[in-house]
Amino acid sequence: MSEATRIRPPVTPAPTPPVSAKSCCQTTTQVSAGAQAPVVALVGAPNTGKSTLFNALTGSRVTTGNWPGTTVEVSRGAWRPTRLATTPAGDDCSGDLDLPAEAVTLLDLPGAHSLDAHSPDEQLTGGLLQDGPDDERPDLCIVTVDASRLAHGLYLVSQIRELPMRVVLAVTMTDVAVQRGLCLDPHLLSAALGCPVVLTDPRRRTGLATLASTVLTALVDPVPAPRQTLDTDDALVREDERFAWLSTAAEQATVVAGHDGLSVSDKVDRWVTAPVVGPLVFLSVMWAVFQVTTSVAAPLQDALDRLFSGPLTDTVAAILRLAHLNGTWVEGLLVNGLVAGVGMLLTFVPLMALMFVLLALLEDSGYLARAAVVTDRLMRAIGLPGRAFLPLVVGFGCNVPAISATRILPDARQRLLTVLLVPFTSCSARLTVFVMLGTTFFGRNAGTAVFGMYVASVVLVVLVGLLLRATLWRTMGAEPLIIDLPAYHVPTLRLTAAVVWQRLRGFLRTASGIIVVTVCAVWLLQSIPTTAGPSFAQVPVEDSVYGVVARTISPVFAPAGFNQWQTASALMVGFVAKEAVISSWAQTYAAEQPQPGQAGLLGDHIQRAFQQSSGGHTLPAVLAFMVFLLAYTPCVATLAAQRREVGLRWTAFGVAVQLTTAWLLAVTMFQVGRLFW
Amino acid sequence: MTSSMDLASAPLGTSLTLLGIEKVAHGRRLATLGLREGSTFRLLARTIGGGRIVLVAGSRIALGRDLVRQLRATAA
Repeated sequence: MSEATRIRPPVTPAPTPPVSAKSCCQTTTQVSAGAQAPVVALVGAPNTGKSTLFNALTGSRVTTGNWPGTTVEVSRGAWRPTRLATTPAGDDCSGDLDLPAEAVTLLDLPGAHSLDAHSPDEQLTGGLLQDGPDDERPDLCIVTVDASRLAHGLYLVSQIRELPMRVVLAVTMTDVAVQRGLCLDPHLLSAALGCPVVLTDPRRRTGLATLASTVLTALVDPVPAPRQTLDTDDALVREDERFAWLSTAAEQATVVAGHDGLSVSDKVDRWVTAPVVGPLVFLSVMWAVFQVTTSVAAPLQDALDRLFSGPLTDTVAAILRLAHLNGTWVEGLLVNGLVAGVGMLLTFVPLMALMFVLLALLEDSGYLARAAVVTDRLMRAIGLPGRAFLPLVVGFGCNVPAISATRILPDARQRLLTVLLVPFTSCSARLTVFVMLGTTFFGRNAGTAVFGMYVASVVLVVLVGLLLRATLWRTMGAEPLIIDLPAYHVPTLRLTAAVVWQRLRGFLRTASGIIVVTVCAVWLLQSIPTTAGPSFAQVPVEDSVYGVVARTISPVFAPAGFNQWQTASALMVGFVAKEAVISSWAQTYAAEQPQPGQAGLLGDHIQRAFQQSSGGHTLPAVLAFMVFLLAYTPCVATLAAQRREVGLRWTAFGVAVQLTTAWLLAVTMFQVGRLFW
Repeated sequence: MTSSMDLASAPLGTSLTLLGIEKVAHGRRLATLGLREGSTFRLLARTIGGGRIVLVAGSRIALGRDLVRQLRATAA
C-alpha cells in the first residue's frame, strides 16, 4: 500500500513509442492496485504540490521539495479513496456509489507546464496523456494548480480538457493565495472549466476526503466530451484561443481582495537575488549549514564513538570469550570488522540527520530556487543554464539521484555535461570523511575546513566545466534563464521530518549494506596470506593480499604526500563507496593491533600516517588527500547511474577525468603547500 | 503613441505590456508561464547578472539578462 516505484522516462527527446499508463502498471504488481484497478494520474505544473499530494494519498515517501523539477521520474502507488471519501456533509458516501474498485493506481508524473515536450520529463507526461491509444490512457487526471498563480497552471488544464479524459482539478496553495489577497470560488472555476474543482492542502492534509469522493464520483461518470476548440492547424491561433479561455476562467473565479503590492516574499527576493548581497547570502547560508552541522553533532559523535569503542566492543569480546571463540578468526571478523566498521558509520548518524534537517528546511522554504538564480551566471560561464544548479545541489546530498535529476534539462549536451560534473559535487558520504579529518587535524576550525571543501567542490565543478566547454563543447548554445520562483513557505514539521527520515533511512540502508559487504571483503582480503608461514586470518595486515595490493598502489600517491599503504587502501575501498572509507581505516588499524578491541584512537593512527608519509608536512598532505577524495570517482552506484544515462563510453571518460583531476590537484596542493607549512 | 523599451531599461514596479519576443522558441516557453504578447506584468527586482524578476498572472519568474534584453514592452 505504501510502496511506490518509479518508471524511468526516455532519456533523449528522440521519438519514442507512446508510454502506456496501464501497461506500466501491470508490470509491477506489488505497487499498483491491481491490473483491473482504475489508473489516476497526478499532473500539474512543476512545484504545485503533486508529490506532496501523492505522498499524502498513498502514504508513500517519494521525494518532495519546494523547487521545480523535484519529480524527475514517475512514481506509482496504490490509493484507497473509499477510506477517505465523504459527502459534502461529511458522511461516508462509499456505500452509496457504484464504486469501480476499492483501490486505484495513482501515478505521480513529472511537472509539466504544457503537453508540448520541452524536456524528457515533459515528453513523458505528454506521451502518457495524449499520444497513447485511448484505452491505455489513465482513467482520470488529477491536475494540481497553484491558487496563488491560477492562470499559470491552467494552460495545461486547457490542453488536457481537449482530450477525451476525466479531469479533477486539485487547487493547492490556497493559504498563499489568501496572503496575496486572492480569493478563489471553486464553483465558478468548475463551471468555467467544465470539470470538478477541489480545494486541498496536501502539506497539512486538508481537503483530501473531498478530493477522494470527487474522484470516485468522476470515475463512475462517463468520460466527458473534449472541450471544443478552433478548427485550425495554426499553433499560434490555437494557443491564443487557449489563453483567452483560461484567462476568462481565472478572472471569473478569482476575486482580488487586497492590493497586489509587494509581498514579503517579493521584498525578500529583492535582497537574496540581488548583485553582491545575493551571493553573500548564499555563501553565508551554506557556511552556516556546515558550521551548525559540525559543531552541534560533534559531542554526540564523540559519545557514540566512546560507546562503540568501549562498552560495546568489550561486551562482544566478553561474549566471544564465553563461547571460547576469543583469539579466533570469528573474533577478528566481529570485533575488528563489523563492530569497528559499522560502529564508525553509526557515529555519523547525528551529523547526517542534522545535515538533512537543514537541507530539508532550505528546500521546503523555497530558497533553493533563488539559489539557482544566484548561481545562474556561474552556470552560464560553463555553458549550463541556471536550472543545472538544481541537480548539482541534489549531488551534495547524493550523486546517484542527481544524475537522474539532470533530466530536467532540455538539451542533450547540457545533460551530458551535467552528468559528467555531478561527481565533483561533494556528497554526504564524503562529508563523513571530511568531518573526521577536519576534527582530527583542524580542531576548532573543523567547520571552516569542511565548508572549504564544499567551496572547493563548487570551484572544481566550474573549472572542469570550463575545461570541457573549451575543448569538447565549444559549439554548445546557452539556454536563457527562465525559472519559476515558488512562494516561500514556513517549513512544516511533518514534511521536514518525512524528508529527513527518508534520506537518513536511504543513507543507512545503502551504507549499512555496503559497509557489511565491504567489511567482510576487506576482512577476507586481510586474512589471506601472501607469504609462506602465517595461516589464514593470522597474517599481519601488511603481508595479506589487501596489504600487498595497497602497497603496490601507494607509491602513486607519494608526490601528493599520502603514500602510506593504509591510506592508499582506504582510497581503494572508497572507489566502491565513500561510506566505507572510515570503516576500512578503522578495520585496518584495529586488525594491526595485537589484541582485538585495542585499536586506540583512529585519529592518532591517521595523524601518525600522514606525518610519516609527508615528511612532516602533515597539513598539506591532509588537504591533498581531502582534495583527492573530493575529486575522484564517488562510488560504483554513481558509475551505474551514469552508465544508465550516458552510456559506458562517456562513463569511462568521466572516470578518467575524475582520476586525472584528483591526482593532479592533490599533487599540486601538497607540493605548493609544503613550501609554506 | 507610447514608446517601447527592452526590459533591461524598463523601470521596476511599473505595469508594462509585453510587445514581442525575437526568439519564438523562448516565446512559447514564456507563453506557457503567462508571459505572452499583450500580457500585463511588472518588474519586481533586478537580479545578479542583469536579470529581472517578473510578476505575471500571480507568478514570479526570474529571467536572465539575455532574455531581458530581447523582450520589449510598453507602459500599460
